[in-house]
Amino acid sequence: MAINDKLKDHILESIGEGVFTVDKNFKINFFNKAAENITGYSREEVLGRFCKHIFRSELCYTDCPIAISLKSKKTIYDYESKIQTKSGIAKPIKLNSAVLYNEEEQPTGGIISFRDNSELVVLKNSLEKENTFKGIVGHSKQMQEIFDLIKEISESAAPVFIHGESGTGKEMVANAIQATCARNNNPFIKVNCSVFPSTLLASELFGHVKGAFTDAFKDRPGRFELADSGTLFLDEVAEMPLQMQLQLLRVLQEGSFERVGESITRKVDVRVISATNINIKDALKKGILREDLFYRLSVIPIEIPPLRERMDDLFPLVQHFLKKFSILYKKQILDIDDKALDYLLKYKWPGNIRELENVIEYAFVRTTNSDIIEFAKLPATIRENSQKSFSITDKHSFAENGGEITKMLALLEKHHWNKQKVADELKIGRTTLWRKLKKLGFET
Amino acid sequence: MSEMLGNQYFMARKYTDALAELEPCLAEDPQNKSIKRKLVICYTQTGKNQKAMDLFIELVDEDIEFILTADPIKDDCPCNELVENLEKQNLPENGEFYTLSGILWLYCDLQSSIDVFEKALTFDLENKTLQYLIKKLNFYKDQKSLKLSS
Repeated sequence: MAINDKLKDHILESIGEGVFTVDKNFKINFFNKAAENITGYSREEVLGRFCKHIFRSELCYTDCPIAISLKSKKTIYDYESKIQTKSGIAKPIKLNSAVLYNEEEQPTGGIISFRDNSELVVLKNSLEKENTFKGIVGHSKQMQEIFDLIKEISESAAPVFIHGESGTGKEMVANAIQATCARNNNPFIKVNCSVFPSTLLASELFGHVKGAFTDAFKDRPGRFELADSGTLFLDEVAEMPLQMQLQLLRVLQEGSFERVGESITRKVDVRVISATNINIKDALKKGILREDLFYRLSVIPIEIPPLRERMDDLFPLVQHFLKKFSILYKKQILDIDDKALDYLLKYKWPGNIRELENVIEYAFVRTTNSDIIEFAKLPATIRENSQKSFSITDKHSFAENGGEITKMLALLEKHHWNKQKVADELKIGRTTLWRKLKKLGFET
Repeated sequence: MSEMLGNQYFMARKYTDALAELEPCLAEDPQNKSIKRKLVICYTQTGKNQKAMDLFIELVDEDIEFILTADPIKDDCPCNELVENLEKQNLPENGEFYTLSGILWLYCDLQSSIDVFEKALTFDLENKTLQYLIKKLNFYKDQKSLKLSS
């Protein structure tokens, strides 16, 4: 069904993202309502004017996103920039940019959709000030070792294989690797291999030429080409069909591939970071994952421990999420009561950090007349599951230790998990502290 | 090659890049005055003074008004700033300097352009191109005055 122009205008007017288009001289010829709200300019004020005179961004002179789209013939996604509003305030935005072509494939203009990124930038800056590594909270020995490894491999472009249960933060580790490596200013493209049907994955990764299959109306580069000189993150790589695994192996070995429906061999320089949550031994044994591919991908293997094996990180993670939701939901809840924390510490977290984040968000949203998360606001799964796993002695022990956990955790946080300093402040011996932590279920 | 990309480079004051995009576009579309007007400026900013002069005369012959009406805001014409920069550079004030200056001045002000071209002529009294240009610009000025008075 063709969409008429009136409907198109209505759609563009009603969406929350700012949208504007320019002609081939870069004069604005469309400006939607959301763009007016974000910039403070009315449509009448901007139509017919050069976009650089309206947005006054440094990028207009260095890396205009439409110019990048023109040069690369690709749509640009999630490009970060800063514009000046009408009142002269610098506003961070995230934008997508594409070129508009006529029937002769000649560029006739460009389109940019953008959203106000101010709140996210504030959130990011605020969370970065915390004691995190590239946004990852991890005080435990296991996580500290991973951070050290990431720093050590920052000069290398060798393939990295990240393994960890669902929700452990594999993508965040991949982001941290990219952020610290020498390619950090080059493209970082992510593909979830389980999302695409096997018939489309080849086209997604390697691109296709017009007519290669029914819906291939024009040539399209694949993710490998888009990631040239940068990094490609292949999530859930073991879900890839075996035939594709063979093609992937070839790219890793030779750096070359062909677009679907084309015989021209293309060369790329791409670093591959891959990840999976499946049991590798089983996958290799069952032939789901090619052994040669696995060894090629896992030059640098990283194993992310599940949350239950690094409970030292639970309290700092809770604090981190409370801070995040305080900014996002614009309400101050920065603490959790002892009982709620005790139950969180006893839970096994099969969904790991993602599950913890969801639990905290759930409790956060439910907390309305208090500045502290209370036990009653936790989801039933936590309250019931933890209760089931409690023995009478456990209950007694936890009741007895009450606020001690929170106090100790606060001190551990304060002293960056230096246990000697915590023991000194509590005026107890290091061994006593060790015994107390062990009793409470902490790795010591 | 892409006129649109050339336009962006021109907007970003990347004259060498703009030249590389716009030159082949003009070859494809030789009547495109907008490209010519930008290319003249690109030539002056990349040391291709003879090419700048040749294309400038072509455009003067074709449509002086089109050069004169170039607006710093409406057309993003950079000539005000370029004339200012040229004068700041302490270049030797010879025929070439004044010729370049005369080209850029026409994008802003007719009389200033004529004055500067006349200065250029004093360095090379036999320069036929300059003589032709000055004559042409003066003729245009007179025509315009006549129109205004009538």
